[in-house]
Amino acid sequence: MADQGIRSRPVYGPVRLDATGRRHLLVTDKPEVPADALRDELGAFPEVWTVARTARQPSSPFLAPAEGAASTHAFRSLAQLFDALRARLSRETMGFRLYAVGSETFLADVGALGASAGLGRAEIVLGHAGSLGRRVYCVHCRTMTDGVKDNVFACSGCGASLFVRDHFSARLAAFMGVQVDAEVPGELPPIETLYE
Amino acid sequence: MIVPSQIPYRVREVEKLSPTLKRFYLEAADGGALPPSSAGAHVVLTIPGVHRTWKNAYSISSTPGERESYSIIVRRVLNSRGGSVQMHEGVTAGDVINGAVPHNLFALSRAGRKHVLIAGGIGITPLLSHAAALHGGEAPFELHQFSSKAEIPVFERLLGVYAGHAQVHGPGGEAEAVEAILTHQPLGAHVYVCGPPLLIELVVRTAEQLGWPTAAIHHESFGDHSAGAPFTAMLAKSKIEIAVGPDQSLLEAIEAVGVQAPYLCRGGACGQCMTRVIAGEPDHRDDVLTPEERAAGELIMTCVSRAKTPRLVLDL
Repeated sequence: MADQGIRSRPVYGPVRLDATGRRHLLVTDKPEVPADALRDELGAFPEVWTVARTARQPSSPFLAPAEGAASTHAFRSLAQLFDALRARLSRETMGFRLYAVGSETFLADVGALGASAGLGRAEIVLGHAGSLGRRVYCVHCRTMTDGVKDNVFACSGCGASLFVRDHFSARLAAFMGVQVDAEVPGELPPIETLYE
Repeated sequence: MIVPSQIPYRVREVEKLSPTLKRFYLEAADGGALPPSSAGAHVVLTIPGVHRTWKNAYSISSTPGERESYSIIVRRVLNSRGGSVQMHEGVTAGDVINGAVPHNLFALSRAGRKHVLIAGGIGITPLLSHAAALHGGEAPFELHQFSSKAEIPVFERLLGVYAGHAQVHGPGGEAEAVEAILTHQPLGAHVYVCGPPLLIELVVRTAEQLGWPTAAIHHESFGDHSAGAPFTAMLAKSKIEIAVGPDQSLLEAIEAVGVQAPYLCRGGACGQCMTRVIAGEPDHRDDVLTPEERAAGELIMTCVSRAKTPRLVLDL
């Protein structure tokens, strides 16, 4: 059951600097870039954006990079990072590479934002770190539920018992959830925690 | 084996664009509608001559989807296999020429947010259909034509309808011009180049150096690179030894002895005619094989490639 054999399930590669690119930006949804998600030294990435999730963070200009280290900027929140990323992508030109390290939901959002800005598959590199909790789209009521850890859960919109398919929609940046007891209400498969 | 389906085309009109360029309008010989063609497609025409026939590929330069007629533009090239000379001197309005239905190996990318079209000389022909498809559409495009000094007015006339999108560049400073064109293009841009091998190499190399991913770089070589020094080819399965003349391609020599060999584009672009080489060293002139495959010397595209050694043995 862990692998449903559906090919749209994203596969995340180790994140290494793509030397064919000319400008590079690494973003993460965490205060620090998890080192084990990278195949290259963090210092190889010329520009890094993080989310500090603290009000103590200066909201203005880029922090001065430490000697020999990447230029880093810590955002107060995910929302702030995405606003800045949207603006940045609208100004970027061919030769740019975008790297994202973080939760699956964060990767899906960065992937969707990158694609809507015109980046192709070869220009976005995604590396997973942290929770495997999924964002699931209820195909019946269209509600998104974040952080789903079990193979079957109650939709936060309509309450239907949804089975989490490996079918991943890049457009919606979510996995598809379909009602599992449509034929016999209340008859559920064994519930397992698969996406921690 | 793919055998492209053949239909008879009637030449509706021949228009002289310059001393060496003629535009031919082709319609369905039965008076019906032509098969729909897409931007970047080509037809392979069977051009009859007195002593031989030629099968040459020509890009469709008219508006995609137009089913009343296709237009192609043919440059008269001396010192080649001779098909273009025959088109210029032997084909007139009213003639019926057999040819394949259109195939497309140079399509526009649907994912493209902006399309940058670069042509050298008569390489403009597929890009004319690209431009026609893009004109008035949502995705912006620009078209750059590299031209000899003498032909600048010819191409300016051809591209007049795309004022504001198209620019004709004269000779000199190509490297700087290509770099300027490809720098600062927005995310999602795709580049398409058709022209002489040196221009294609320049554009592909420059785009790669600027960090364009290979999926955003499209190229199609044009014209005829298949003539050259004569050699012999041994067809191992058929047990026939053939002489490949200086003005015929390896594929044409194979066809001339009645052996059915696979082909589609006849321009070194599609890979359909790929054949295993048992002995001898190929002279690769195609766009299909990777540098590693070229170096290995085990495969050959019979439509354009020839031999470095006096003899090739092929698995045919």
